[in-house]
Amino acid sequence: MKIQVDVDVCRGCEACALACSLVHEGVSNPLLSRVLVKKDMAHYRFNLVICEQCHEEGKTPECIQACPTEAIRLDERNVVMIYDDECLRCGACAEACPYHAIFFNQSTDQYYKCDLCAGLKTADGKSSGPACVEICPVDALTLRLEAIPQGGAQ
Amino acid sequence: MSGGWVGKILDVDLSTGKILTRPTQPYTAECLGGRALAAQIAWDELSPEAGPFDPENLVIIATGPFTGTLVPTAGRTVMTSLSPRIYPRPWYTHSTLGGWFGPALKYAGYDAVILRGKASRPVYLEVLDGKVQIKDAGDLWGQDARQTQLLLKERYHDGVQVLTIGPAGEKLVRFATVQHAEENAAGHSGFGAVWGSKNLKAVVAYGTGSVPVARPQVLWEEIRKFGTYVISPGIGTLLNGKKPKPRPICSQGCTMNCFVSSYGTTVDGRVVPGQCIGGLAWMTENVMESTYYKGGGMEVPAGRNFGLCEEVTLHERCNSLGLDQWFRLVIQPWLIACEARGIHELRGFPIAPKDVFWFANFMEDLAQRRGLGELFAEDLRRTMDQLQGELPEDLIALGHELEFGFGFPAHREGRFWDEEPLPFWVISAMMYISESRDPTIGSHNSSLLQAEFFIDNKEVARKHFGQVSQHIWGFPDAFEATFENKAPVAIWSQNQHLLIDSLPMCDFAFPQMIKPYESKEEWETATEVVGDLDLDRRLLEAVTGRSWSRADLTRVVQRAFTLERLMLARAGRARPMEESLAPHFQLPCRADGTLIDAAGFSRLLDEYYTARGWDLELGWPLAETLRDLGLEALIPELEQRRATALSTPVSG
Repeated sequence: MKIQVDVDVCRGCEACALACSLVHEGVSNPLLSRVLVKKDMAHYRFNLVICEQCHEEGKTPECIQACPTEAIRLDERNVVMIYDDECLRCGACAEACPYHAIFFNQSTDQYYKCDLCAGLKTADGKSSGPACVEICPVDALTLRLEAIPQGGAQ
Repeated sequence: MSGGWVGKILDVDLSTGKILTRPTQPYTAECLGGRALAAQIAWDELSPEAGPFDPENLVIIATGPFTGTLVPTAGRTVMTSLSPRIYPRPWYTHSTLGGWFGPALKYAGYDAVILRGKASRPVYLEVLDGKVQIKDAGDLWGQDARQTQLLLKERYHDGVQVLTIGPAGEKLVRFATVQHAEENAAGHSGFGAVWGSKNLKAVVAYGTGSVPVARPQVLWEEIRKFGTYVISPGIGTLLNGKKPKPRPICSQGCTMNCFVSSYGTTVDGRVVPGQCIGGLAWMTENVMESTYYKGGGMEVPAGRNFGLCEEVTLHERCNSLGLDQWFRLVIQPWLIACEARGIHELRGFPIAPKDVFWFANFMEDLAQRRGLGELFAEDLRRTMDQLQGELPEDLIALGHELEFGFGFPAHREGRFWDEEPLPFWVISAMMYISESRDPTIGSHNSSLLQAEFFIDNKEVARKHFGQVSQHIWGFPDAFEATFENKAPVAIWSQNQHLLIDSLPMCDFAFPQMIKPYESKEEWETATEVVGDLDLDRRLLEAVTGRSWSRADLTRVVQRAFTLERLMLARAGRARPMEESLAPHFQLPCRADGTLIDAAGFSRLLDEYYTARGWDLELGWPLAETLRDLGLEALIPELEQRRATALSTPVSG
């Protein structure tokens, strides 16, 4: 399970980042989001940075390899998660991530990454999310449920 | 926990270099944010004697409680100042722009910026995470708006957001813009020239802070329910289920597919976005031809499109020069009218408005105030005053009529630009008589754009909008094709406009007067059509954590509108000047041929002024109106001005 990105249709509205920071942090701040929207004004091009769930490509993610305390593991959904209680704040994971998709929140002294909205529920208690996928108006972000077969192409 | 505002207003004196801050909180209950907040600051601090290019003039850049949040279309920013474009004399007005600047300002810690004074040399303002500096802009002065932004992004990083003027602002062109990103501008009001007069080239903002949200779960649920749109809500229904082309957005948090935006490709192969009149008139193949109008002895020639790539390239250059794109819709047809009468040069300068190369050079000359550009940099109406006596009277009259609304290009008035049938042009006329600028720019969804439904299928529209009318105003015929009882609609629409500019939101998406429909069939067979008109209030409660009733919000906007009106009174604007708009509405409506004579127009003023609680002689608020809004402290000044004005007739 991972969020698939199509940067060609992204328009840079940052609704994904604002939704992410809203549901995870309770504030509006694109820099506290697990998805980063980048804009290259010179060429009018956009880029989206979000965890690629590398294990789905049949390898052990670099972040997991880099973590000295095994604080990054797959959860029961098979999603790469940072377990904050066990995190030493060494930053090795962020440094190792080839996509620069692990971020650091200075004010809370926490590393964080896309958790595919673990535990997000609607007001009536139903499972919900990922918030970025729900809010993206152009399907630049979509949730792919099935893993890619090992060695297969996208 | 309260949310929405980040707590501080920045106050920068460019003359002395003094940088102060003040808390936002004392303003929020009465003024909310954005345009209403700016009106209060301007009323309190903008000298009634100041001219637009005097150091005493203020530029106020204001966000609202929604800016920087996930509220759909909320990435907007308001700018206010004295406008050099306004004719016959400048007064205080407002302009809004989309984009990412307002959010960046809030993430940097400020809800608004007041700019006063005049720097002794070109400068820009740097606002980085609560640290503010005035920096030298010697190397940026002379650069175009696009290049300035790219240079500043290179100097800092891609994440900084920039407001900047182009050469037109530096040269005090009266319709110079303040630009942001590729697709956004505070365009209509000529504020770029005010920046130029202050030697202010740019404001750079970046911050890592957050906009607090009082009830994040509630806000998220509201926005999830609202959904996202593959077609524009409202008018998008008329696309009739056709798969719309993907369109760019112009603002943080916009989850719409706005029908007034387009992508285009320049002649050198660069993709650029275009919004509003840029996305329509400049980035389509035939919309400029819609300037053609004939009626009542007045003929406006069709504009000339130069081909899609050429138009996109010109559009991008217009933005980079920092010129209001609307100039094209009035100056090009006027020059074509000159040609049609065999006039091929003005003051010794050749004119060839249908020639793309001539037109491209003309834009450069406008921005640099060179040659013919020096003449037209004063904008069309002041240019007409200069050419009076040199050209046939009908050409001079045409120039004045093209910008009949106190110097703003005619827009949604049912004659020259957009087909507003009766009663929509009457509603529009009431807004023109009472506001400081082209008033229709912020009231698309709250009334004027609904005209498209009547043009498409009048009977269905009458049935459905009868229901809307009953729901909002308590009577069914607000949108019937009559001249009577339109003031409640105009005032409601203006209230919506001011609220949208103060929260802020986009008027192409809000208010949701009708439910969103995906096809005409759905619209035609619908039974309950009234949209969610309470969404803004619920979103405001979710963001701020405070209780707001509809009456609270109405009071905020009526109070702010009254302050704006009092600033117009300070500038000498009164009924005689507003009566002078009557001839425009004696021209037949392009959609249905309807018109109104001078006596009828005067009755519209009576109806509107009475509904507002204004006197009938001047159209200024009555003492009891001020008292009802808690503005009794302003009564002595107004009464003194009223006595002076009534003893010395105000000129029209």
